[in-house]
Amino acid sequence: MTPFPPSLPGSPGFIRLDGVSKSHGRGAGRVAIFSNLSLEIPRGDFVAIMGPSGSGKSTLLNILAGLDPVDAGRVAIDGCDLSAMGEDARAAWRTTTLGIIFQFYNLMPMLTAAENVELPLLLRPLSGRERRERVATVLDLVGLGGWARHHPREMSGGQRQRVGIARAIVTDPALLLCDEPTGDLDRRSAGEALDILGRLNRELGKTIVMVTHDPAAARSARHVLHLDKGAFSPAGPEVLS
Amino acid sequence: MSSLPRQCFVLTRAALAGLPGRLAISLSMVASIALVVAVLIGFLAVAAGLERTLGAGGSREVAVILGGGAFQEIASAIPPDAARSLQADGTAAGIALDDRGRPLLSREIAVPVEATAADGQRRMVALRGMEAAGPRLRPGSSIRTGRLFAPGMREIVIGETLARDLGLDTGSSDAGPKTGSIRRLRLGPVDWAVVGIVAAQGGAADSEIWGDLDLVRAVFDRQGDIQALRVALDGPDGLAALRAALPGATPSPLDAMTEADLLAGQSAPVTRLVALLGWPITLLMAVGASAGALNTMMSSVSERRIEIATLRVLGFSRLATFTATVAEAMALSLAGAVLGAAVALILDGWSTSTLGADGTALVFRLAVTPAGLMKAGTLALAIGVLGGVLPAVAAARLSPLESLKAGP
Ligand SMILES: Nc1ncnc2c1ncn2[C@@H]1O[C@H](COP(=O)(O)OP(=O)(O)O)[C@@H](O)[C@H]1O
Ligand SMILES: [Mg+2]
Repeated sequence: MTPFPPSLPGSPGFIRLDGVSKSHGRGAGRVAIFSNLSLEIPRGDFVAIMGPSGSGKSTLLNILAGLDPVDAGRVAIDGCDLSAMGEDARAAWRTTTLGIIFQFYNLMPMLTAAENVELPLLLRPLSGRERRERVATVLDLVGLGGWARHHPREMSGGQRQRVGIARAIVTDPALLLCDEPTGDLDRRSAGEALDILGRLNRELGKTIVMVTHDPAAARSARHVLHLDKGAFSPAGPEVLS
Repeated sequence: MSSLPRQCFVLTRAALAGLPGRLAISLSMVASIALVVAVLIGFLAVAAGLERTLGAGGSREVAVILGGGAFQEIASAIPPDAARSLQADGTAAGIALDDRGRPLLSREIAVPVEATAADGQRRMVALRGMEAAGPRLRPGSSIRTGRLFAPGMREIVIGETLARDLGLDTGSSDAGPKTGSIRRLRLGPVDWAVVGIVAAQGGAADSEIWGDLDLVRAVFDRQGDIQALRVALDGPDGLAALRAALPGATPSPLDAMTEADLLAGQSAPVTRLVALLGWPITLLMAVGASAGALNTMMSSVSERRIEIATLRVLGFSRLATFTATVAEAMALSLAGAVLGAAVALILDGWSTSTLGADGTALVFRLAVTPAGLMKAGTLALAIGVLGGVLPAVAAARLSPLESLKAGP
């Protein structure tokens, strides 16, 4: 475990934050989340970000996802300067580079598992057959080969999250961002989901940034960053307990 | 290859799947649009029905001569000498001759009279006094049962629709012509024998009563009055010849026009009035329906904001979000249009009555026309677009960050 410094070993930086400032709200209600935050994460790393509630973990993840623009500083991922891109450009970039895994899965209830996983592929010039093959591959990968035709309501939380993971990786993105991916799961389901993330990192070389407040989840990461009061600090021993 | 259609398909599917949850509000949107559509089709059907009734059977071979600058029979008066000179002159310009060489001409008068309807209500109807040639000068009408009135007798024939309205037995055309009276009807101070039923395929004669000119004038104390002259034209140039001859026949100003032109001229103001009333009422209702549609679509977008935002995170475009929302609004308004049209089509062919220009009952059938359906359908789609655009903009502007507000 190398929780600190924020420039993690291995270069060049796949994810780079340089002097990033970010605040929420306007006028009197304006709250500064980060000022002059820097961070470098190499390709192929699996980083867990921990920290107290409200410390800005989700905000950081949204910045990395290109969903939330920064006030100042530079955000670059795999050489793409997100802070210089417009909203549509960032949206297009997301579809090629990024998979997002949500705490509450965000599946479409009216679609089957396979149809949910297929959604990101609909934006690509693939034939129906190619799409079905890819969907089948990733559903197998998350251990849901037999659940393709089931709807989310027929599945457990752990299975739904695995559909969410399959949807995030079906476009074969280099980077996976997960905000509390196990936050809504029981211990066993959480373990299964973390196993899958670990394999995606080890076997397929996916770079993973995962926000979590669960020390057990953090232990499956290669590195742990502790975010508090707008700055990274070394993870305390509580992480490992 | 654009993925826009596929994106819209998924978004629309998501919207449709959410419909049961928004059933009440979606149905209210459909119902309010259906109401607008039905009302508009109804108004247009009244206008079309009136136009058909007033304009039906208008012949170009029959001319009507009116006096006193009138375009309506009721306001017209013909001096007896003018009628005499046209009738006496064996070579009256433009007028066809009967087999005995006399001009085919009928002096006519229309008297508003009270009659008792089947429901016991008294209503005003038009009793038309005419000469023997009168029925022959109405090519669109024919005796359906019974026979024509005989000159000098207190006999009448009644238009089919009016007869049914008055509760008279109209008989069946298969039964063959009946002789003798079908019934007696009291008009004015005396009873009349109903000897026949006239069918005019929705024309004005369907809601008229015909009798002998001299008897009608005698009973209603209108001796010597003539309101209109009806003549058969002797060819395509007949009208021009007749018009040229009129100033020579009488010093008073008379005008001749074909029956078709007269009916068209009469129906135009009524039709225009119905349309003039119908459109503002419908458009006002359409504004209300648009507000309802806006409300429905806003709730649809707001209820699905997490789904929409999630799809945006997955890369779905703002255009697809916009398009699918407008498409949902248009699908709902189309459902409303179909429902409204179905309701309105039930009304098609229903007969109803209104007051004609002379205060007498004018019976006509509602006519739902393809043009009316098209107009109402277009209005429904316009409501859908109006109500859908703002919510669609809201959907397109939805931040993908909304996707993170999902709950368990
Ligand atoms: N859209 C927003 N508008 C205003 N304040 C926000 C917004 N999003 C987050 N915040 C605030 O910013 C701070 C950091 O939020 P967040 O990044 O969600 O923290 P964490 O995920 O670490 O709990 C919190 O105080 C939160 O209330
Ligand atoms: Mg958070």
